[in-house]
Amino acid sequence: MKMTYVALKSLFSSPATANYPAEPKTYYPGTRGHIVLEVSTCTLCKICEIRCPTGAIQVDREGKAWSIERMKCIQCGFCVDSCPRKCLSNDPQYTSPASEKITDRLDVPYEPPKRKPKPETPPA
Amino acid sequence: MSMFKRSPWMVHYDGASCNGCDIEVLACLTPRYDVERFGVINTGNPKHADVLLITGYINEQSQPVVRQIYQQMPDPKVVIAIGICATSGGIFSECYNTKGGVDSTIPVDVYVPGCAARPESIIDGVVKGLAVLETKRAAWRIERKKRNRVFRLPFFKPKASPP
Amino acid sequence: MSNRTIIPFGPQHPVLPEPIHLDLVVEDERVIEAIPSFGFIHRGLERLVEKKDFQEFTFVAERVCGICSFIHGMGYCQAVERVMGITLPPRADYLRTFWAELSRIHSHLLWMGLVADAFGFENLFMNSWRIRENILDIVEETTGGRVIFGAAKIGGTRRDVTNDKLKEIGRTLKTIEAELHAITDVFEQDYSVQQRLRGIGILSREDAFDLGAVGPTLRGSGEPMDARCEGYAAYRDIEVEPIVESDCDSYARCMVRIREIYQSFDIIRQVLCRMPDGETEIKVKGYPNGEHFARLEQPRGEVLYYVKGNGTKHLDRFRVRTPTFANIPPLLKMLQGCDLPDVPVIVLTIDPCISCAER
Repeated sequence: MKMTYVALKSLFSSPATANYPAEPKTYYPGTRGHIVLEVSTCTLCKICEIRCPTGAIQVDREGKAWSIERMKCIQCGFCVDSCPRKCLSNDPQYTSPASEKITDRLDVPYEPPKRKPKPETPPA
Repeated sequence: MSMFKRSPWMVHYDGASCNGCDIEVLACLTPRYDVERFGVINTGNPKHADVLLITGYINEQSQPVVRQIYQQMPDPKVVIAIGICATSGGIFSECYNTKGGVDSTIPVDVYVPGCAARPESIIDGVVKGLAVLETKRAAWRIERKKRNRVFRLPFFKPKASPP
Repeated sequence: MSNRTIIPFGPQHPVLPEPIHLDLVVEDERVIEAIPSFGFIHRGLERLVEKKDFQEFTFVAERVCGICSFIHGMGYCQAVERVMGITLPPRADYLRTFWAELSRIHSHLLWMGLVADAFGFENLFMNSWRIRENILDIVEETTGGRVIFGAAKIGGTRRDVTNDKLKEIGRTLKTIEAELHAITDVFEQDYSVQQRLRGIGILSREDAFDLGAVGPTLRGSGEPMDARCEGYAAYRDIEVEPIVESDCDSYARCMVRIREIYQSFDIIRQVLCRMPDGETEIKVKGYPNGEHFARLEQPRGEVLYYVKGNGTKHLDRFRVRTPTFANIPPLLKMLQGCDLPDVPVIVLTIDPCISCAER
């Protein structure tokens, strides 16, 4: 008998269903969606590569590139916490499903500071 | 909705996961996401299903079960790997009991990333899977026609149309 | 003597979202014995401590199970913190308790839906999960994840929640609680629910204690035992009364869980009132050296974490004894002598979480 009340109530209340594919979902600002790199401040320090629990992040110092395998990343945000330059961040939008495993490769324009050449000792 | 031309039925199996993705698959059936409005039904029987949703990676013991479920499904069929574990093994890829993602056992058509995969991503993944199903179905239809031509009996031959 | 047959139950079964295999020895329609077989989702994650360092391992510990993930992470962190001699700032303790109780509510609501589905009450299943989504919204807003919270960290919590937000959450929870009463009244008063649950899956108090049942399975048999009374995290300030029912059947276990939901609402209200200000994490220096057993109360029962460190960044040993693992011998006892159509309901009344049990 009690259930009749609940069922009747849901007849007259607004629908609980989010009309998802028709209306895009708005995420909360803190949602851990996918990892975004701010290329201009990255120094290719490799800390994110070492810290990543699944080995999704690869840092290529010679090729000056930072790459992430989207289908390996578990969105834990450990790289975001450990980045010393705070150039990694979590974007609330999720990676969309695909038929292939996606790898995003970003070119990093970082120039390592050149070591000062040793001052030549003046000939005695 | 035009993208859902037919009512796809799906069967769900948990390979070896933390069951976070499983409850998200179940959450898709419940009022907030309600995939039943597109005609998607979660069936328990692989022989009724068009779409196989697999969560979690494959280990030694679940491999024959997954293979059996796949073989029991009628052609054409689509396999959707849900969650990072199903696509690559994820955080458990270094465990001693892991065989790898689902693609180590059966062919996978769509990968749905996320740990755990959100209901929205799962719905997106199923939509992508249905596009694959549609192309597979067209190919399968052509093949069936070819097969039928071989076995057609002579008295069923259509009359030649007059010039 | 009638014929004996063996009926396989699972691993792929419509009632269970997870694979478990039971061989049911049946005489006519009556189950004589149930023989379980496991290993479909064995991952062997306890050995991952050799490959992941002790801070990274928090993420692995959270993925022991997707339903009670936060409490797993919290238990692991608590064990390591004890080994390292870290005292948490009070706000971190309170925030952890807040999330732990939220995950208890969402887990029990999930279970209510599944058990309603098992006895064929589809409407109740849908309504329980509708309310659960509101709890998940709060979780997502505060931690950033729906299922895997990712909020625990050795030395505190990874996120802070502002006091304004907490006040708002308190108001939201009040409306959710009011909505929930309509659903739980159905469990308490509906005729068909009582018919399916009363007198089914009897587990006497002696059997429950001897076979090592934990959590609502034990408390449904009249044994007051709750690890929250130990006083870890914020439970040292908040008094928790173990909820006990003495009917020993499936209905008693159901009632324990329903009353626990309201208890959790009450605990959250107290946590929000007493929430202290200050830091949420402290810096961790050094590596764990020593061993510790941590005892926590999960939605499914008591869980044990054993951690042994050797002074390097990799732990020597990690072990977790999950509640479902302890509840399987009592389950086999309950299944003896039940009717075949009652098997799914009885299996669900221990709230099986196979991922937990097999790790």
